[in-house]
Amino acid sequence: MKRIASCSVLPLLVLGLLIQGAQASKLTADMKEGKPTLQSMGPLAFGPEGILFVADTKGAAIVAIATGDTTPASGAKLLKVEGVNQKIAALLGTSADQVLIDDMVVNPISHNAYLAVSRGRGPDAVPVLVRVKADSQPEVVSLEKVKFSRADLPDAPVDGVVGQGNRQSNPRRESITDLGFFDDRVLIAGLANEEFSSTLRAIPFPFKSVINGTNVEIYHGAHGRFETRAPVRTFVPFTVAKQPHLLAAYTCTPLVQFPLAALKPGAKIMGKTVAELGNRNRPLDMIVYQKGGKEYLLLANSSRGIMKISTDQLESVEKIEAPVPDGNKKGLPYETVESWTGIDQLDQLDSQYALVVRRTEGGSLNLESLPLP
Amino acid sequence: MFRRLHRTATLLALVAVYLPIPSSLLARVHPDTFHRQAAIVTQGISPSAKPEGYSLRWVPGSGDGRTARVEVSGLSLGALKALQNLRWNLADWKRVLAIYTEQGNSAPASGLPPMLGTYRVQSGIVSFEPQFPLDPGVVYRAEFRPDQLPGSQSAKDARLVAVFKPPAMRQGPRTVVQQIFPSSLTLPENLLKFYVHFSAPMSRGRIYEHIHLRNDAGKEIELPFLEIDEELWDPTMTRLTLFIDPGRIKRGVRPLEEIGPALETGKSYSLLIDSEWKDGAGEPLQTGFEKHFMVAAPDRDPPDPASWKIQAVPSGTREPLRVTFPEPMDHALAQRVIQVVTDSGREFPGEVTLEDQERRWVFVPVNPWRSGTYQLLVPTTIEDLAGNNIGKPFEVDLFEEVQRRLATPTVKLPFEVR
Repeated sequence: MKRIASCSVLPLLVLGLLIQGAQASKLTADMKEGKPTLQSMGPLAFGPEGILFVADTKGAAIVAIATGDTTPASGAKLLKVEGVNQKIAALLGTSADQVLIDDMVVNPISHNAYLAVSRGRGPDAVPVLVRVKADSQPEVVSLEKVKFSRADLPDAPVDGVVGQGNRQSNPRRESITDLGFFDDRVLIAGLANEEFSSTLRAIPFPFKSVINGTNVEIYHGAHGRFETRAPVRTFVPFTVAKQPHLLAAYTCTPLVQFPLAALKPGAKIMGKTVAELGNRNRPLDMIVYQKGGKEYLLLANSSRGIMKISTDQLESVEKIEAPVPDGNKKGLPYETVESWTGIDQLDQLDSQYALVVRRTEGGSLNLESLPLP
Repeated sequence: MFRRLHRTATLLALVAVYLPIPSSLLARVHPDTFHRQAAIVTQGISPSAKPEGYSLRWVPGSGDGRTARVEVSGLSLGALKALQNLRWNLADWKRVLAIYTEQGNSAPASGLPPMLGTYRVQSGIVSFEPQFPLDPGVVYRAEFRPDQLPGSQSAKDARLVAVFKPPAMRQGPRTVVQQIFPSSLTLPENLLKFYVHFSAPMSRGRIYEHIHLRNDAGKEIELPFLEIDEELWDPTMTRLTLFIDPGRIKRGVRPLEEIGPALETGKSYSLLIDSEWKDGAGEPLQTGFEKHFMVAAPDRDPPDPASWKIQAVPSGTREPLRVTFPEPMDHALAQRVIQVVTDSGREFPGEVTLEDQERRWVFVPVNPWRSGTYQLLVPTTIEDLAGNNIGKPFEVDLFEEVQRRLATPTVKLPFEVR
């Protein structure tokens, strides 16, 4: 997740569309045509011009794909697919329990939904990109012949192997927990499966080289200590005081704000904790939208209805430095939209609607458009 | 690592018939080999009683039984010619020949799309090749609608149906939990993670439903683990990393969360893996797994390599080098990141194991030791059970951390071989 939405940036998006032709060659000039190698498909994010960024955790890479899906949406259209996992399973010739939807994003130009799907749950699972257009019929996006570019992520500084002979392997892997695009950079949050370390990387796009992960250190109010190694669960690029920032949601749901300019190789960053949203849940996805001339954050999480947070005071809110006892909330105020339950994936469909993947009581998944609260 | 196919399993492949299919027509074959199965399938589909002369059949591919194609024969020359010239799109083809999945015993839900694949017209035969491998446990139903052929005079709604059930996977030894690290029976209150090792690749997706932490009264501890959608597997999917949620690790003098810390000093717990968790082949674990442990005082001291004891090894031998830690170290990191180098800084390769509940690091060199100085290289990112690094406790404030951070990312421990 996912993409920018802020007063100061939206006009730039419009301007970006106007000069799309001129920029198209610049962003895709270095791409090659063919079939990108994807071992897995994790978080997704859209950049400009229908360029879809795909995180490949198994392949330790980010792949940029020019989808060519650049025809602006004509009027409002609401997507709805009941049993989207069953329909995708039928297309892929497997059972619904062998279909995992690992992420869902909306193309901000065409308003078509893209789903990162895993066909299978074991080590031989096949990643598949699925698109849902206005007709609400899932279709598989062919990646046989697309324009794409790839950035390989650096692994751990010590890249040792264990075992002998054919059994030799490096069991270390870094999972990509979220992906975003801002301005000219792809932002990647990662978490390793051995040392407990959360990295946030920013890679300039078009891809040239990958810089070392920037270690992130934040103040985690609920623990009464500096939390040095908490993983970013989800983030959204956001403009605060005319400066690009990241708003990141961590475990136990503190919201932390970082200046993007501080993301430099090897830098130690201290974020500003702007809200504690209580515990007993884990954030899943976050979007920023406008309604009635005001700006809001919408945060989907595992255990409550969705959280709606006004960003009015984001600039002025006092940094949380003291412990926040007993699971209380502090910082930016928020309201809970109780009716939004079972949300697995969230993105913004258009100015009026969000698009969600929602788990029903029977375990089936629906893709639904919901009015922004 | 991967399971072989169960080639003597039931292979169901079926003849084209008009709907509804009488169950008596479903020929169950039980040949000795997969190739023989395929042959029998072909035989079973030999043209018979097709009013219009059409034949629809599944042709299993060679190999593991996960591939098969559908073939329709008996089309008139005119229809074949028309099909070759029409340049149909996928939607047109699906009206003539569509393949649906039936899951388990349930009837196919209405409105589900047919599966993807490639259509061809070749040598008088229309064929469909699925885009993805076929799965055991799924019944594939091919439906051919002659009335949708160009220029057809077939009765409306007439259709031929053939079903195919890929052979089940061989049930070799069932998958089990082999080990959970740390292997110690006493763990610090601020324990950071477990590693769960399986005997075969596992499946991912909603795994946390199968992992439970219970106190000595058998009560389930609520949300003790960092639940990450991506799940922290090694590339073979035989090892899962399970972090205790940092928000549930007791810090300072009192628990600050309403939900409380996951582990508390002096109490005992069980980590349970339930047997319903399915492995990579879709089979449940042979049995559940339970690790009992006691919780001791929190460990807030960074590991200090100066206190590690290196046991001397004689030159000219491949005697194991033993390094003893005063406390257990993180299993994965201790095994992977510690290196032996020669005096000139070249890597001295060998096999590493951990003993004595991850308190002892044992290194068997590939080549014999030579007289001289070697070094043990220890990256400061190595962790103890509480996630404390060399020079950096897990929980520190930023200012303290800056002052205490070591300039070098690696600690060197020299030792002599004589």
